[in-house]
Amino acid sequence: MENSIYLGLSKQMVLRTNMNITANNIANVNTPGFRGQNTLFAEFIADPRGDDSIGDPLSFVNDRGQYQITDEGPLQQTDNPLDIAIVGPGFIGVQGPSGSPSYSRAGNLQLGLNGQLQTSAGYPVLNEGGAPITIPADASEIKIDSKGVISSQQGQISRIKLVEFQNIQELKPEGDNLYTTTATANPATQSTVKQGYVEGSNVQAVLEMTNMIDTLRNYQSVQNMMQSENERLRGAIQRLTRSS
Amino acid sequence: MRSLDIGATGMMAQQLNVDVISNNIANMTTTGYKRQRAAFQDLIYQNIDRPGSTSSDADTIVPSGLQLGLGVRTGAVYRMTGQGAIQITENPLDLAITGEGYFQIELPSGETAYSRDGTFQMNENGELVTVQGFLVQPGITIPPDAVDIDINDSGEVIVKITGQVTLQNLGQIQLASFVNPVGLEAVGDNLFIETEASGAPTTGNPGEDQFGALRQGALEQSNVNVVEEITKLISAQRAYEMNSNVISTSDEMMQTTTQLR
Repeated sequence: MENSIYLGLSKQMVLRTNMNITANNIANVNTPGFRGQNTLFAEFIADPRGDDSIGDPLSFVNDRGQYQITDEGPLQQTDNPLDIAIVGPGFIGVQGPSGSPSYSRAGNLQLGLNGQLQTSAGYPVLNEGGAPITIPADASEIKIDSKGVISSQQGQISRIKLVEFQNIQELKPEGDNLYTTTATANPATQSTVKQGYVEGSNVQAVLEMTNMIDTLRNYQSVQNMMQSENERLRGAIQRLTRSS
Repeated sequence: MRSLDIGATGMMAQQLNVDVISNNIANMTTTGYKRQRAAFQDLIYQNIDRPGSTSSDADTIVPSGLQLGLGVRTGAVYRMTGQGAIQITENPLDLAITGEGYFQIELPSGETAYSRDGTFQMNENGELVTVQGFLVQPGITIPPDAVDIDINDSGEVIVKITGQVTLQNLGQIQLASFVNPVGLEAVGDNLFIETEASGAPTTGNPGEDQFGALRQGALEQSNVNVVEEITKLISAQRAYEMNSNVISTSDEMMQTTTQLR
């Protein structure tokens, strides 16, 4: 009966999801290594009349999922020895909360307690063997080469775990610039490390702003549709009751 | 409407970003100042449609799922300990550290503080003190009849005393270094104090091991890069505006909803 209202409602629901994701992208426009997200919409076909001989079935819209934008963010030069940017599709291996293996692209690293190399949220950065990296107290002039090998004047210290994935979309964002996945992490072959740079967020501000305007206007036009449908129904009821 | 709150987290983060940047710019000529940086992180994600859940009885799975991020937060504001530029002043009691290490300063409370600011002076007893009058450790007392003060690369204070032929060695200025200097707590007046995160100090002579050499008649400038700070300020301001646009758009969407009858 009120199918058209429900159709409109389904569209408004996904537009709200879209707005939330756009808002999250814009909020993270300055978050290092952040990957923006886009929403996937899917048509959801239903035939409430149970008989497809009369007219077409109804097609609702459904928010099926979202995907990561995999473009690389802009590199910002910082000249800080503990800032690294990953050029290519790789990720840094990080020991996440509760010790779970996590991955990150945010290369603004720092030293923590006892010289442990950590992400800015304090999660230990792992070496190739999967153990946290400790920088000795007397190390000076830390250099990180393109393969992720950390060395100081006293010689080589460790090598950062650098991994790649067959399908980046299988990574699940966990907050704190971390991602987790059940997929296997392969040693990086196409990625290199650049010291003294940080990868910025890959959110394209202009795109997100236009996306937001688009979402708003869509929302309003659906609203208009629903309103006129409401008017139509009211008119019909009034006319029908008068004639009886 | 989650986007309202998400926009708010974005505005708060950018506000803090501007605070940090303005403090850096305000201290661009502070001797020995180390610039700070705000590190942002994405907030937790809410699973609306869990990735990996089955989408049909034929065991097909949802490849990406629907996860809503809830905005941004500031993970840390930390100091970048890179070397500042060395400015020559020709003042014999100005010292700059070229490399790692901190001067040890005795606070009036008896605690030891650490500083990169080598603008030293003498007090009424001829002791080497900071601009605030706090004693430099280990203490150096310069006799009133000293005419020529020479502080070498390794921190030895050598003076010529009127009427004496041989030069007199008054002692050695020692530096302290930390495993994690970023973990030091700033207490203002260019001073830092030890914390659990910085680790215990190791003291040593300038120029030895990891310690940087001293340079007399020079001062270490702040390591603030003004061009970088200004560009960061611009991008922070624009990000702030964009987030406020998110809030007004969300507001408009809600307004549209309330108009529906």
